[in-house]
Amino acid sequence: MVQPLNDMCVIEISDSIAGSACTKTFSDYGARVIKVEPFSGNKIRRMPPFKEDIPDINGGAYHLSFDTGKESVIIDYSSNSGLEILDRLYQLSDLVIFDTEVEKTKKLRNIINGNNYPSTVSITPHGMSGPFKDRLENDMSILAWTTRMYRNSMENMSPLRNAPGSTLVQIGHTAAAVAVGIYWGQKQDKIRRDAEVAGVEAVLGNVDTGFVSWIFTGNLPERIGGQLKTRYPTGIYPCKDGHVILSANEEPWFSRLCNAIGHPEILQDSRFIEDRENNWQAFMEYLGPYLEKHDKNYIFTHLQEHGVMVAPVLNASDLLDDPQAKARKSFVKIDSAIGEHYLAGAPFHLNKINDESFKLKSAPKLGAHTNMLLNELGYTKEEIIALFRAKITG
Amino acid sequence: MSNKSLEGLKILEMTEAWAGPVCASLMGDMGADVIKIESFPRHSLTRPTSPRYATMPGEGPVYERDALHHQGNRNKRNMAIDIRKESGKEIFKKLLLDADVFIEGYAAGKIEKLGFGWQDVQKINPNITMISIAGWGLEGPYKNMVTLGAGLDATTGHLSLRGYPQGDFVDTHPNFHSDATGSSTIFFAALTALLQRKKEKKGTFIDLSQWEGLVWQFPAILAEWTMNKRIPERLGNNDPHIVPHGVYRTIEEDKWIVVAAEDDNQWQGLCEVIGKIEWTDLMHQYSNIVGRIKGRTEIDAAIESFTKQYDGFTAAEILQNNHVIASPVVTPPDVLLSNQLHERDWHQTVNHKWTGPIMVGGHLWNVEPDTLSWDIPTALVGQHNEEILTELGFDHDYISALYANGTIGNHYEN
Repeated sequence: MVQPLNDMCVIEISDSIAGSACTKTFSDYGARVIKVEPFSGNKIRRMPPFKEDIPDINGGAYHLSFDTGKESVIIDYSSNSGLEILDRLYQLSDLVIFDTEVEKTKKLRNIINGNNYPSTVSITPHGMSGPFKDRLENDMSILAWTTRMYRNSMENMSPLRNAPGSTLVQIGHTAAAVAVGIYWGQKQDKIRRDAEVAGVEAVLGNVDTGFVSWIFTGNLPERIGGQLKTRYPTGIYPCKDGHVILSANEEPWFSRLCNAIGHPEILQDSRFIEDRENNWQAFMEYLGPYLEKHDKNYIFTHLQEHGVMVAPVLNASDLLDDPQAKARKSFVKIDSAIGEHYLAGAPFHLNKINDESFKLKSAPKLGAHTNMLLNELGYTKEEIIALFRAKITG
Repeated sequence: MSNKSLEGLKILEMTEAWAGPVCASLMGDMGADVIKIESFPRHSLTRPTSPRYATMPGEGPVYERDALHHQGNRNKRNMAIDIRKESGKEIFKKLLLDADVFIEGYAAGKIEKLGFGWQDVQKINPNITMISIAGWGLEGPYKNMVTLGAGLDATTGHLSLRGYPQGDFVDTHPNFHSDATGSSTIFFAALTALLQRKKEKKGTFIDLSQWEGLVWQFPAILAEWTMNKRIPERLGNNDPHIVPHGVYRTIEEDKWIVVAAEDDNQWQGLCEVIGKIEWTDLMHQYSNIVGRIKGRTEIDAAIESFTKQYDGFTAAEILQNNHVIASPVVTPPDVLLSNQLHERDWHQTVNHKWTGPIMVGGHLWNVEPDTLSWDIPTALVGQHNEEILTELGFDHDYISALYANGTIGNHYEN
């Protein structure tokens, strides 16, 4: 079967997780993705973890996961000679993804001129304009601008980030969406487009922020940790062998839960009908023993049979053996620079589950495709040597 | 206004909560004609009929004033149809006839029971892309299980490494990361299928497990286990390889600032600002990365001595001017204070019948030469029933009959 994006060529000029995360999905669904890297390699090649904790420019977990199937070329585009190569590369492609400093992106984008060139997406922390456009940010500092860190904390304790790198992945993933959107648009109307994804705006404008709720109510998000004791049971609850997360404070889930744990009388109890928000402790006299008695996987299957929204809190060691992941082959064994290892598989399945529209191929070694690409761009053998000798390519 | 990228596409969205609705709004932002099919007469999760924490006070139906609903439903038209009724099915079949994408968010098997599984839909419109976004997908032992984004987050391993390192795990705030990223996944899936349709000249069905759409985004969690047989620990805001990298108090009570210096240049800038220039001397133990990793506690204390003299915005400004990573940890009201967001006209003001003019969050992206705009404020339930039914060829009397027999509606009972 032909992969859905097999006739598409994407250039990635990136120096953070976001750009790499953006182009990964294009690559896995068949697009040719050419990753332009500096001599030192894209930053994600240096992101841990590494196998046996030995740093390896071709063996970092982020690189192995996010650069699947891409071609790696080393070009020093700070020089005119490097820019000339990029110009040829642009004309070969359908889409260019930039994830570099604002001024650098502007310079790299300026080469593009006319509808024969591809559409572009520029990823930056604050956007290409405005007083903060040149600010230095990282994964955590961008999240700090979005109200999500503030909410992820308890009163008078430090706000908390999400998993390292996850904010930049979200930004890159957002960029992938607009990228495929403008690619579609250009296919339809032949109009070349330049999209801009400002990381702060991309996260702040999406959901799970408190901004709109505050506008509506004037109330700040509650910073009370994992258990809402006025609207319960919602949040993290300990059980026999770990924790589960419940979302059963509203109907019909509350009634289903009470029935499932064998206490339908809660539903007739005036404490929970008229004054539920002040009776969490009383409610836990019913729920607590049930949770203490059962392990997380039993609770998951038992309460779900009653239609209750509950899930076990899993850790890394649980993932590969998770029954659902095994049934759907959600993790795929792949052979790469560190030997055989597992990566997450398809984020969505076209036609039927695990068909060939999605393919994971190993991530490239740094600069593995430079010479092949220069040949393809029409450089002669002598020109290729000249560029290599002048440290323009590698 | 120039053409928009997705102009000409017709999207039917039959989802609740956030991931599906937000995806459809993003398509609407880019010019698609998005029709939200609201559950009727049952109201959806984000359409509460009695006031709750996210309800704007005031007049009008409660279900029209919920912030959680408004966050995910701009730039759509709205129909409220009871598709359990034959007359409702008839309307939906007509909607499907020329639709490009149908996104549905029911638990596995439900849409088939309603008569609109893929086998049925492709007979009505062989060119359509249908996407099912059940939490764990349509196949496998969890296919019937129900969840919100927080449950998906918990089962990817993400939740297990969040929270205070020394604190009780139950103090970790659940989050809904999968909703935010899920919208982009659905968007990408839809466009990928449409691009395939161009080649294969036929529609596609997509089984999109929101769990699978999320789990690939945390490569380090899986790799720590598969590469090194380690379970990632809760680190709070620390980074084991970068010092400083943390959140610090400011002069304002319970207000905070992020500060990090990832290399020697940023360290130089930081030391100049916090009055520790001697820490950059070549012979000083903190002048290099290895020394700083050993001195995290002392360095953090010195930074906090500085940040506690200022509010977060001011401290961040000073540090950024000296090339240091720094940002205030903003609260919702702070979002209104950002010069950057105002300069870029990010905030949007929309006028809604029951909330009045409100300032809301802006777009996730900008596109030139297209002009993104919030053309349609979050629609009222059934607001476009007549408009769309007329487009489908139903006459006034028939539409009145549909209201009378409860096939369509424009309000919920409390």
